[in-house]
Order: sequence, then structure tokens, then C-alpha cells
Amino acid sequence: MYEIIEGFLEALRLIITLDPDVMAISLRSIIVSFTATIFASLIAVPLGGVIYFGSFPGKKSLINLIQTLYSLPTVIVGLLIFLLLSRVGPFGFLRLLFTPTAMIIAQTVLILPIMIGLTISALSGVDPIIRDTLRSLGATRFQLLANTMKEAKFAILAAVALGFGRAISEVGAAILVGGNIMASSFSSSTRVLTTAISLETSMGNISQSIALGIVLLAIALVVNFVITTVQHR
Amino acid sequence: MQQRTIFAVTAILVAFMLICGCTGTTSDQTPGEKQQLRIATTTSLYDTKLLDHLTPIFEEKYNAELIIVSGGTGKAIEYGQRGDVDVLMVHDRAREDAFLADGYGTNRRVFAYNYFIIIGPESDPAGIKGMDPEQAFTTIREKGMAGENVVFVSRGDASGTHSKEQAIWKAAGFNYSTDIQGSGSWYQEAGTGMGATIAMANEKQAYALSDIGTFLAYKGDVDLVALVDEGDALLNVYCAMQINPEKYPDTNTALAKDWINFLISDEIQQEIASFGVEEYGQPLFYAAQNDWEKIGVPQAEVKDPVL
Amino acid sequence: MIELEGVRKSFDGKEVLAGVSARIERGEIFAVIGPSGSGKSTLLRLIDLLDTPTGGAIRINGVDIHANREESHRVQRMMGMVFQKPAVFNTTVAENIAVGLRFRGIKEAAIKAKVEEALAVVGLAGYEERRARTLSGGEMQRVALARAMVIEPEILLMDEPTANLDPVSVEKIEELVVRINRDLGTTIVFSTHDMYQGQRLAHLIGVLMNGRFAQVGTPREVFTHPASREVARFVGIENIIDGVVVASNGTCAVDAGGVRIRTRSPLTPEELVSLCIRSEDLRVTPAGEATTAPGKNTLPGIVTSIVPRGPFSRVTVDCGITLSSILSWKVVDNLGIREGSHVAVSFAEESVHVVRRG
Repeated sequence: MYEIIEGFLEALRLIITLDPDVMAISLRSIIVSFTATIFASLIAVPLGGVIYFGSFPGKKSLINLIQTLYSLPTVIVGLLIFLLLSRVGPFGFLRLLFTPTAMIIAQTVLILPIMIGLTISALSGVDPIIRDTLRSLGATRFQLLANTMKEAKFAILAAVALGFGRAISEVGAAILVGGNIMASSFSSSTRVLTTAISLETSMGNISQSIALGIVLLAIALVVNFVITTVQHR
Repeated sequence: MQQRTIFAVTAILVAFMLICGCTGTTSDQTPGEKQQLRIATTTSLYDTKLLDHLTPIFEEKYNAELIIVSGGTGKAIEYGQRGDVDVLMVHDRAREDAFLADGYGTNRRVFAYNYFIIIGPESDPAGIKGMDPEQAFTTIREKGMAGENVVFVSRGDASGTHSKEQAIWKAAGFNYSTDIQGSGSWYQEAGTGMGATIAMANEKQAYALSDIGTFLAYKGDVDLVALVDEGDALLNVYCAMQINPEKYPDTNTALAKDWINFLISDEIQQEIASFGVEEYGQPLFYAAQNDWEKIGVPQAEVKDPVL
Repeated sequence: MIELEGVRKSFDGKEVLAGVSARIERGEIFAVIGPSGSGKSTLLRLIDLLDTPTGGAIRINGVDIHANREESHRVQRMMGMVFQKPAVFNTTVAENIAVGLRFRGIKEAAIKAKVEEALAVVGLAGYEERRARTLSGGEMQRVALARAMVIEPEILLMDEPTANLDPVSVEKIEELVVRINRDLGTTIVFSTHDMYQGQRLAHLIGVLMNGRFAQVGTPREVFTHPASREVARFVGIENIIDGVVVASNGTCAVDAGGVRIRTRSPLTPEELVSLCIRSEDLRVTPAGEATTAPGKNTLPGIVTSIVPRGPFSRVTVDCGITLSSILSWKVVDNLGIREGSHVAVSFAEESVHVVRRG
């Protein structure tokens, strides 16, 4: 118990004095996961719309597959992206392994299924009569999609928040494709909150781990708060 | 419209993120821009923070940036085999030899060494204090299998430390996979890094094999002590080698050579020999410079700069 | 203007519409009435191109609207639809109404003016910035109506538009329907299960039963001369008696379970028929006071029940056949009629509407 309290106090100290390492790691976490969420949203939301409104053979199976991928273990995604980006892999020539970009790619892939699936759920939650009304007002396919999304925007926003939450709290992919590097320049380093917590814990630096944990929770809290506020406008 | 401003702000943030997040490509050879050297090493070495200590010196001298990834020895070697790094720094002679023989590595140089130690609870239920490493291992096994309160926690992760442990078992006359692994609840495999293994041994008041560096770092936090610290079998030799440019032509050969030569240079050998004294009262490493006979490697590997 | 030719629609093997045919002229108000589940919504959805028929055709101005994509899209743009459930978008009233205009690329300034105008027409002036979902059911439905009308459709379709509303709102909407039709000449097709609403508003009624129009006619025709037994029952004729034509020479005599009834319809003997008599056309008098007269049927019987119905009472009499009449309490009291009283039920020959059976 004493150890935990001690660690907690040390954590507060690190945060209040704006310890440069902690700040850098936190900022990187936010940037990487935020970017991944944006990319994933830009793909998932329209794609979800197209799948929902489309009618093609195997539609049900596709949606089933997407929902199965919700629980895709992060290490598997990490391993996959690692194998693709490694120098001996098909995309090795891009030299992206052990860079923040690789982490963004991995996190984007990781949260895509959940965001596509939840977008489809959100759209299904819109009363079918809205769809009829839009069609009877003469909507083109695109107008139908866009306006239904507007009706579902709260649920879609919740999906985005969830995606961000999953991205920023995952460790498996970040450590495999990023390498948990702490280099002398900000943009070459790939250590983020989760991988740092993992490392510090394995090295026995409890207070550092707790500090990073507090920051991670705080970020998640703030993001959720912002989303809920926007939703209630 | 409110929505428009939110959209615009987001778009600007996105652009900003992309600029920040997408940098980090590797060895750009444009003059004036910093070059990057990618090193894969083991957690045993990385966690001692020796590299953190040497990095700024190197980076300033050569206007470079060191990108260091660490993992178990097996993982580090894997990175080397895949050509994802420029330099490999590990401490497993046998596997290093295979690595060189297979043509993945070249220009190996030994730059430091220390000893593994057998740590255990102060009460020493197996009574191994002061024994030879092979004898100690045999005793632990005997007492453990007899059901006495004796447990051994192994790295169990194909790391250099784990290889060393296996070598000691072999030297003591046991077949690792039949006599040791799974032979009873006295032998537990942690499957994790050195620090976590030590922590686990502490929890269980058990014996373990550890490198001196990590143990010193944890000493204050655990109730374990060093019980056996002498014996050739406990020798722990660290080397650095280039990833072979013949296999992977686009590695940063020039900087790799610089780094290796840096490590065996007089100045840095002295740095290594004195590292850790301030904090732990004893150095964590011995400089390899003059001790090639003692550690059983050719003089060239310790002295000759890479060309 | 709208021609329905043998329109069929099946869902998962179940046939909902089995050949609906009718003709709706421009500027007409056409009511589709029928029991729940008879396919009224389905029919309207087919006209509005929200679904495609599995058989038959729907033509507007002579053109099959389901024939090709572009044609369909063009036609859909000249129709507006209001649904049973008020389907307003989760935004302001003005935004709701503007949706259709935006789809058509109308300029902002024009949109503002049209929205204002539309709101004025439905009696919701000044409601522009209110959030549509916070309005009452009736108000939401009027917004939906404004939204459909603002695009100036030639045809307005309404699927049970007042089904879930309070009486005041129902009245308001009915008023608007009549006004829109009168002032703008919009052809209106609406469905309802309230036959009296159909009667109030429509020029022409189609009675949809068993997937077909059992009858298409003016309100008067449908209500007084139902084409079949089922229609008769649906339009609220309580007395339907089956019988066989016995004699026919100017007046017809029908044998209904032993009782002889005379009617004015031209029929041939041995035809199987159903006789439909409205309760309002039956007069009940105490047995002793009854008089017989030519052109009138008078049947003696015993009162079996008197059931209150608002300010009236439904008096059921067993005359060998069961007949029921609607009388005011006062009349019942004055005549001293009770259960078990001997009475005579009389009705004119003309008020017997004969429908063929089988």
C-alpha cells in the first residue's frame, strides 16, 4: 500500500513539474492516436454508409466479419503490420518500421473494424421512416447517405470516441511496430504512454508508471468530456 | 455555422498532425541533415542505461541520431536477420557465431563484459552460497525436486541470459529439455525481461540467474542477495556487430563502423569501466580492452578498429 | 392522371396486393380506405416509388413510372408524401422544410422565403427556429405537410396522416388537405382506416380489401350502395342478411331465413343475395301501433337487447332474422320499449340494398 501511495505522490510531482520525458511521451500518444482516429474515421464512416445502404451478395457475412474483428488482438495487428513494414517485407522499401508513422498505420488498422461496425449500427438505429422520407423528397443516393448520417451523428461521434480510446490504450501493436524508442529527437522517438508504462514497470520504476497511467486516464477523460459536450449542443 | 468552424479547426489539426507524425523516415543521406543509426540490443544491456549514457557523446561527435530498440536476445537477433537495424549488440557467443556464419553479421567487436550472478533469498534454503555455478545449480535442482522450499525462476524467453542459464545446466551434466524444463514446480519459467524475472523471484523468495547490471538496479527494492558470483561459467561478454551490407546493402554502413569503433576506443572503454560506480558503488561492466585472454576472445575483436 | 393497372405486390411469398386497378383524375382527392393490414401503405409506397410492384403497372400521365431509373427519379420529384408517423429530422423546423429544396439546388434566399410561406399555410408561422422533435404530434405532422408541399408537388400522397393525432389536429390537417386541393389543384391520394374521414374529404373512394379494390366510387355510392358484403360491413352497415331471390316482377321478394323481404332491385329468381339495410333506415314501433303500407316492409319481432350508444341506443330485434336499429333514448322511453317487448320493425323497400353473393 505504501508503495502505491509513494508512487502516486511521485507521479503528481512529475506531472506538476511538467517533467519533459512525461510530456513528450504524452504528446506523442495524443498525436499518434488522434491521427489514427482521424484516418480511420475518414475511411470507416463513408465505408460504413456504403455497406449499410448497399445491397450485394454476402452483405450479412461481411458485417459478421467486421463484428468478429472487433476483438482482434492488438498484438496480431502489430505482428501483421510489422511483417509488412519490415525491410524484408513487401513494404520494407518505405522504411517505415520503428517510426511514429508505423504506429499510426497499425492503430488505424486496429480501430477500423470497430468504427465501421459502429457506424453501421448507428445508421441502423435511424428510423427507417427517415430513409423513406428522404427518398420521397427526391434524394439522390449520396444525399440519402449524407442526410442519414446527419441523423445518426451522435452515435457516429460515440464510435469515433471509442475508436480513439482503443487506439490510445493499446500496447501490443505500438510496441511491435514502434519499438518503444526514446531517441534524442521528438519525431524519431516512438515511445508512447502505454509502451512506456510497460517498460517502466518491467524496470521497477513504479512511480513513473503510475504517473504515465494517470496522464493516460486524464487524456481519455478529457476526450470523452469534449465529445459529450459537443453531443449535447 | 458552428459545424463549419469545427470542421476547419479539425482539418488544420489534422494537417499539423500529419506533418509531425509522418516524419521519422530513416537514413537520409543528405549532408547537413542528421544521420540515423539503428541499433537492436538486449534488454539486459539497455536496462542498465549504459547506452543512454554513451549516446549523447556519440551523437554530438558524429552529428547523428541513435535509434535503439531493445528486446530479448532472440528478438534482437531477429531484427538483425530481417535487416531492420544497422547494428546488433548482444551477449550470446554461440548465437552470434551462427549469425556471422550465416552471413547476416560482420565485423564483430567485443567492448565490455561482466558476470552473471546467482541470486536468491538471504536465508539461502538450498545452501549454495560460495559454490561453483554448476554445483549450485545441481544443489538447487536436488533440493527443489525433493520438495524442500526451493524454487528457481528462469528467464524462459530465449534471451542471452536464458542461453547462459541453459549452458550452465548443460555443464552440470543435465539435459535441459528433459531434466529441467517441466520437471517439477521448483523450476518456473517467467517468459519475460530481467527486471520482471527478478521481481518474480523476489515474490517467490526464489533463486534466479541475473546479470549484474539489472540486479544492482533492483538491489534496493528486493530481498534477494548475490550468492554465487564467481566462475567461468558466469562470464557475460557483450559484443557489437554490423549487419552485413552484402545482405542488406542499404544499411548505414559508415555510421555503423563509427559506432563500433567508438565503443572500442580508449576514451569510451574508460567510460564503460567507470559506469555505475557513482550510483551503485561498483562498476556495472569491465572494459574488454585488455582482457581478451580472460574472456576468451581473439585480440583483434577487442583491439582492431573496423575499416 | 394516375392509372393503377392490376398492381400486385408480394413480400416473401405473401401477396399483399393482388391486382389493384383504379383511375385518379388530376385535381381529385382519392381516399383509399380499408381495414388494417389491407395494403394501403404498400399501395401508396408503390406510387411514391419507394418500392416496386411485382406485377401490373402504375402510370402517371400515361408513363409507367417504374420502367426506368431516370423516369422514376423525375416523377418522384413531382410527388410529395406524408407518412403516418411524423418523420421529422433532428434539427430545426426550417431546416426540415428546406431539405427537399436543398436537394433540388434552390438558392438560400429563395429557400428562406418558401419556408416562411409554407409555414404560414400550415398555420405554424414563426416556428422556423424551433427544434422539430420538440413539437406536438399534430405540429410535427403539419411540418411534414409543409415539407412535402414546399417543393410544389403535383401529387400529394398521405399514408394515414391523422391516425395518431388528437381530434383538434385531425381537423386542422383535414382543413389543410381540402384547402391545398382547392387552391393549388394538387391531386391528393390518402389512405385512412377512418371511413368517415374518407367520406368527408374525398371525391372518390377506393375500398381496398383482400388486395384488391372491392369498390371504387363516390362516397355516396360506397356508403349507400356497397358493391359487396365485405364492403357493406366495412362501411358500417350493421344489418346484412343473406337470402335467396324468390320472385321478381318490378319488386323483388327475397326469402331470408323464412322471412320475406321486398326490395326494389332488379334481380333474377334463385340468385343468392345479401341484403344491406342501414340501422338509420329501420323504424321500431310497438306491436300494436304498427301499420303496413305498400312499398314498406313490416316485420313483427321481439326486442332482444337494448345497448346504449352515446345519446342513442342500439335496439336489436328478433324478427326471424336479427335486425338492429338506432334510436334515441327519448324515443325508446316514449315508445315504452324494453327487452322482451313485442314490436314491429319497418323499412322502405328502397332502403334495402341488395348485393350479389357468391
